[in-house]
Amino acid sequence: MDLQNMNPSSLKSRFATRFLRALTKINAQKPISSSSSREIFQRYRRIKVAADKSMAYSVRSRRSWSRATLWRLRTRSPRSRLATLARRSSVKTRTTRAASHGATVVDRKSHGKENKEDGGVEAEELRELVPGGEAMDLCNLLDETAHYIKCLTTQVQVMRTIANLYSLH
Amino acid sequence: MLHRLESLESCNYNGMGVAVLERQAASLKWQQQNYVVQHNNLVELCASSMPQLQGLTGSNLGSGQMVELKRPEVFLGSDDFQEFVNFPVAGAEFGDSEKLDMVPPEAAADYCISRTSSCQMTALNTSVMKEEREDMILEKMESTTGSGRKSFNKRKPEAVADHKGKNKRIKGEGEPEVKTKCSTEISRNSSKENSKASEVQKLDYIHVRARRGQATDSHSLAERARREKISKKMKCLQDLVPSCNKITGKAGMLDEIINYVQSLQRQVEFLSMKIAALNSSVQFNVENLTMKEFPAYVANFPAAAKLPAMASLPYFQLNPLQKESVNCMLNESMLPPQTATEGIASASVSISEQSLSSSSMTQLQPFSTWNMDPQDIVPGIISNFKREYNFKCHYSPSYKTYSNDSDSYHS
Repeated sequence: MDLQNMNPSSLKSRFATRFLRALTKINAQKPISSSSSREIFQRYRRIKVAADKSMAYSVRSRRSWSRATLWRLRTRSPRSRLATLARRSSVKTRTTRAASHGATVVDRKSHGKENKEDGGVEAEELRELVPGGEAMDLCNLLDETAHYIKCLTTQVQVMRTIANLYSLH
Repeated sequence: MLHRLESLESCNYNGMGVAVLERQAASLKWQQQNYVVQHNNLVELCASSMPQLQGLTGSNLGSGQMVELKRPEVFLGSDDFQEFVNFPVAGAEFGDSEKLDMVPPEAAADYCISRTSSCQMTALNTSVMKEEREDMILEKMESTTGSGRKSFNKRKPEAVADHKGKNKRIKGEGEPEVKTKCSTEISRNSSKENSKASEVQKLDYIHVRARRGQATDSHSLAERARREKISKKMKCLQDLVPSCNKITGKAGMLDEIINYVQSLQRQVEFLSMKIAALNSSVQFNVENLTMKEFPAYVANFPAAAKLPAMASLPYFQLNPLQKESVNCMLNESMLPPQTATEGIASASVSISEQSLSSSSMTQLQPFSTWNMDPQDIVPGIISNFKREYNFKCHYSPSYKTYSNDSDSYHS
């Protein structure tokens, strides 16, 4: 990889800038007081959310999984069960709408998981892993998985580098 | 009979639909050869003169004859004979007399129909004619090109089907079925040597050359197309996921993909934990970090030497994916160190992370081991590795519970 040829608008650089900005915000918010595990855990949560959010924002709404992630992040309210259910159903409808271009199978499949038998058990697991995957048929699910894997690898690369920078300084 | 057709074609007729008309005539001929009874009736028709034929269309011949004539064209409705007669014609210059001269009177009944069709120029819907002509030409071109057989894939027939759909809307049931039959005949004519699939062509509007031993109804076709799409996408995924090279079969590959996605997500999680932990001890100056510096760090993933400790761990039963990810974590976290000790420290830090993540994620007390001496860490870490990574890739419940409980991302 060459320094000069690095694309400033590539996924990697977009994600990196956003994530670093979020990190500085997190650092600025909470002054580093003590290393209690609880605080570290909270910070970890925030950093993880920031990582997911910045990745989803880097992808914008082009992908179903990013839309689902953004939706999840926006309506995160851990208290009410109703909110979770509402979110899930809206995610389903949203992704159904998004994924229904040309896939007539989706209408059938979105009625419930018991109708979906393509791919079998593994596809169900994959659907749980990939955000927004519950309402997709296998074809779109594979597409989304491929893009999701690519973005995850980018995310891991960038975060690892940041962590190394941290550990070196 | 065919050479007569060709002789007709060689005549100097105007209009582009002439050859089309001849094809249609040939197709009609094939049809009618199946219906012995109607031959006689058609010959009777032929015997009558042109004006009588002209009168045919206007009036009702007599139910018997009409019925007989219709029988070869089973698909035609009751009033379709007239439409059929109007159907595809050449330009207005098409000369009736010429045609009559060319065709000897003892010609088969098939030419009669074309003759009758040639005389009815009056009640024409020209726009529709043009469309039909184009349709016929399309089909004719499809059939006559050398690659006609290959072009009978789904895409072109769908275009044809679209045409047919349009025509259906314009005219009614009769016309498209006429075309279907004609095109079926045309394709049969042109691809006699490809006999394996021609028998299975039905009266639906998607002309797909079915492969040997495969069904051609629309459901199975759609299924087959879908399956091909899915297998194509699985191949792409195979390139992305590093561990899928040796595994064939959908289930195994899906398993590998699931494992890979899970491991990536887990890596993100504990990288963020690492950042959180390191954040607490180090004041990080982001302003110093420009985008120019950053790619340098990203780019410099050394393929550096593995930690010697790793070499002495023969009891691993990591599946290749896990092993690779562990190795990657170790290698890539080793930036070109300023000193050797720093490199070891960073590597040991990453190893300790591994052990931390594997052993006790739910409690965060092991963070106190950050400050331990590297030499003390390594043996403990090795034993941790052995303990924790001695299972197969279907992960221990502790992972799952961890990810389910404390992570709203998975909720």
